[in-house]
Amino acid sequence: MPTTSPTKATLMAEVADLRARLEEAEETLSALRHGEVDALVIAGEAGPQVFTLQGLDAKTNRFRGEMLAQVSDAVIAVDNDDRIIYLNAAAERLYGFAASAALGRTQAEVYKTRWRHEGDQAAAAMALSVCGEWRGENVHVRHDGRELNVESGITVLREAAGQPTVMLAVIRDVTERKRHEDAVLVSEIRYRRLFEAAHDGILILDPATRKIVDANPFMTEMLGYPQDHLVGKELFEIGLLSDEAASQEMVRKLKRTNQVRYEDLPLESQGGRHQEVEVVANLYDENGQPVIQCNIRDITERKRSEEHVHLLMAEVNHRAKNMLAVVQAVATQTAKYGDPATFSSRLSERIEGLAAGQDLLVKNQWQGVEVADLVDLQLGHFKDLVGTRVLIDGPRAQLTAGAAQGIGMALHELATNAVKYGSLSNLDGRVHISWRVTAGATPVFSMSWLEEGGPLVAEPARTGFGRIIIGRLAGAAVSGTAETLFLEKGLTWTLNAAAENALTGVAR
Amino acid sequence: MTASAAPPEVGGWRILIVEDEPTLAFVLEETLIDAGFAIAGVAGRLEAALAVVETGACDAAILDTNLSGVSAAPIAQALESRGVPFLVLTGYSRNQLVEAFSGALHVQKPCRPERLIAALRSILPADLLDGPAGRT
Repeated sequence: MPTTSPTKATLMAEVADLRARLEEAEETLSALRHGEVDALVIAGEAGPQVFTLQGLDAKTNRFRGEMLAQVSDAVIAVDNDDRIIYLNAAAERLYGFAASAALGRTQAEVYKTRWRHEGDQAAAAMALSVCGEWRGENVHVRHDGRELNVESGITVLREAAGQPTVMLAVIRDVTERKRHEDAVLVSEIRYRRLFEAAHDGILILDPATRKIVDANPFMTEMLGYPQDHLVGKELFEIGLLSDEAASQEMVRKLKRTNQVRYEDLPLESQGGRHQEVEVVANLYDENGQPVIQCNIRDITERKRSEEHVHLLMAEVNHRAKNMLAVVQAVATQTAKYGDPATFSSRLSERIEGLAAGQDLLVKNQWQGVEVADLVDLQLGHFKDLVGTRVLIDGPRAQLTAGAAQGIGMALHELATNAVKYGSLSNLDGRVHISWRVTAGATPVFSMSWLEEGGPLVAEPARTGFGRIIIGRLAGAAVSGTAETLFLEKGLTWTLNAAAENALTGVAR
Repeated sequence: MTASAAPPEVGGWRILIVEDEPTLAFVLEETLIDAGFAIAGVAGRLEAALAVVETGACDAAILDTNLSGVSAAPIAQALESRGVPFLVLTGYSRNQLVEAFSGALHVQKPCRPERLIAALRSILPADLLDGPAGRT
């Protein structure tokens, strides 16, 4: 072998040398990467050659770059081919694009532009070509789809010969501001809509002068004056408060408590219509300016319905207590005249009869009760006998509430008596119930209960409460008379009264 | 329904009963007679009651305030103008009554007979408790 194999020492020296050169190269590369090198001198076959990396004014350029990096607006420069040749740190943040990735790409690859109104784009192009600059607002859509409302200033930079070389854009993100402005606009529209459509009267007052500065349409409707008639007036001048002193007092109170409330103020509209109103006045601060807002609500209807409720409550109280008094009276009388052994069952029956009568009255809103319905109700236990042993006939006629109660109680007593002692106590006795209204100048309502075919009848020795109910009380209930005869063939009961005292719908 | 054993201290007082509910009117009448009073009249309607007041043959009255939906206020006024004492016996609470009844003793229904009699005695002039016969 002609070559001598290298010694271990030469190999070691060669490795050390290569390692040193590698480190040197890495250092150079790192310096190049970090922009610490302005120029390179390369030793070549034609002698040393200088390669300038950043031009002569690299220092100035770097200074400018650092300045632009500090600016909070995004700065982007594009060349004639629309390729990005510069973007600052704010632009990197705004578009979510690192400079290393954005440089050399077209602007459209970094963000798309959307114009708000038709013609905006053409106007911008015109401005740039004629004046060399444009300012305005549009929307930039980032590569990730996020939309930015931006305000931009674009300037065309030209070379010495006047040819455009670079377009420099300074872009400010106004998304937040825009959102704020939109919110204010929406809130203004909403306020107006409330003010215009409210079904309360609303007055805005200046606390300094106490004069009306605005009135909503409902307020003008309530008062019957046009809006311009209200503006400039004080509250007492439109009849809302009694006098100037009351106006002053309201403002004084408002300054102390921020809210004043008046219930039941009388308000006369221009047409003389009287209304009861409730006024709530609030003192607000509007951006450092105090204003008074008065809400005026027409409570005439509410007051009326409150009064109606009170009336109904009193009526309910009156009727319930009256009924309790009747029950108390019936109990006393049942005990006084009846057999103590049957007291409880007799009283319960009578109370049931009273309660059933109430149902009919309530069903007809206390307006009256059809005679036929009342008969049906009080004969409920003998429904099966109706048409065979119990005959009912009479025209349509409506009893007054009082008559219905008295006749209802009487029918109840008659039925109870018939089933115990009368014609319904055996197997073939009959009852004929009928009523009629005679025609004529003074119509008469008459009703009868005729029994036959029952056991032999004799007048009871003693007058019980039942006799009083079918006699005196039934007669009194119709301001007429009721007569009971104990005929041999059976009991007969007849009631006579002027129709106007017993029936509804009869002229008095 | 007898009035034979009238307690002497109220003997002869003529009481007007104004009540549109026949059962209550009947029981009131019995209660008063049992207690020794006389009945000046029983009326369920305004005109009938006023007619009794007009005769002057009435020393006191028990007044229901609502007669089938008609206010008994005119009767109260007629009684007051004649100086006839009366009490109102009604289902209404005191605060539900109209002005015309505000001066009268208010007794609410239902009312035990003893309580009613005590109330009636309380409105009669103390010096004349022996009845109208004692008046000169």
